[in-house]
Amino acid sequence: MEQNSDNHDELTIKQQKEIEKEINEQFALISEKIPIEILNDEYADDPVYRQKVQDISSKYRYMRKIRPDGNCFYRAFGFTTLEYLIKNKEEFKKFRQVIEQSKAKLIELNFPQFTIDDFYDTIMEVINKVEPSDTQDVNKVLDELYKLFNEQAYSDYIVVYLRLITSGKLQEEAEFYSNFIEGNYTSLLDFCKKEVEPMYKESDHIHIIAICAALGCAVRVVYMDRGSQSEVIAHDFPDCPDNNPSVSLLYRPNHYDVLYQ
Amino acid sequence: MSTPARRRLMRDFKRLQEDPPTGVSGAPTDNNIMIWNAVIFGPHDTPFEDGTFKLTIEFTEEYPNKPPTVRFVSKMFHPNVYADGGICLDILQNRWSPTYDVSAILTSIQSLLSDPNPNSPANAMAAQLYKENRREYEKRVKACVEQSFID
Repeated sequence: MEQNSDNHDELTIKQQKEIEKEINEQFALISEKIPIEILNDEYADDPVYRQKVQDISSKYRYMRKIRPDGNCFYRAFGFTTLEYLIKNKEEFKKFRQVIEQSKAKLIELNFPQFTIDDFYDTIMEVINKVEPSDTQDVNKVLDELYKLFNEQAYSDYIVVYLRLITSGKLQEEAEFYSNFIEGNYTSLLDFCKKEVEPMYKESDHIHIIAICAALGCAVRVVYMDRGSQSEVIAHDFPDCPDNNPSVSLLYRPNHYDVLYQ
Repeated sequence: MSTPARRRLMRDFKRLQEDPPTGVSGAPTDNNIMIWNAVIFGPHDTPFEDGTFKLTIEFTEEYPNKPPTVRFVSKMFHPNVYADGGICLDILQNRWSPTYDVSAILTSIQSLLSDPNPNSPANAMAAQLYKENRREYEKRVKACVEQSFID
């Protein structure tokens, strides 16, 4: 147990709330698909970034902006993974099975069944609603997914459940993942309790590796930062030569968005 | 109007009634499910024994994504309780998880009474006495226990 006097400072809390409110008003949880060139507007006076936007534009044509609330990785990853699976029925079935089996695993790892039920039921409800079928128009299903992910109640509970799956995977293979934990944590469990399970906490490589391993999914992350090279660097998770992820995210310092070719 | 926070609080309440943990109780106030009153009984074999300590728990519509605000209403003398009753407890701050429910919150506060953490004091005097003069610490705690009968 440790001190967190910041949370006791009412002025700070008030300021935090105002910032949150501003972000919520400014950003949808997930935006429509927009042309990638829109990034140029953000970097009008920034030659380093403009050059990188040019490089990204040669590989990706569209993007979706995700609300920058600290949950952006899980929201972006969850959305674009399901978007891909809706168009790939067989893989959707496998993904569904993995989610179905995940609850028992979490209970085995001592997560309280009483509370995880809610989050599990919500993600299953969404999976059921967007399950591809021969009779339904794919575009309608994709619209439904977009709607559900923009409804705070659904969207946030999915983020919670993806966080729990990530935490579960890290704990399950604690010995392996402890090697990658840097910073002031007393144990891998301590890391999970501070950096994985709480909402609004940002994600790093280790979170992405764990969630991909847990769900049997792959993702390409394109990194755009201040580095001097003119090309952006892409990193595939999991990192193996025969992996060619079908979904891509754009990373800019502390934030993830979705990319489309 | 039913929202995820309100639905979840109804479930929390039902669970607390059906499967009440030892030594804690809590219920929503009559006209507002977002504000609860709770009682923690001082744990056995601690200076808090026999005390009945009252608390309020205030939830927002962001519960359980965000923790509630929990405060002691009864006067407390404890290294991790502020003068205004606010509680310095990691699971209510940087280790909050949406998997915690009211039952888990109350039992965590109960164990904080048994095991104070004097290294992150909210009440410097209580922390110092806890470390250096346990007799005086216990005397001051027992005064709160007496006070809790009257409140």
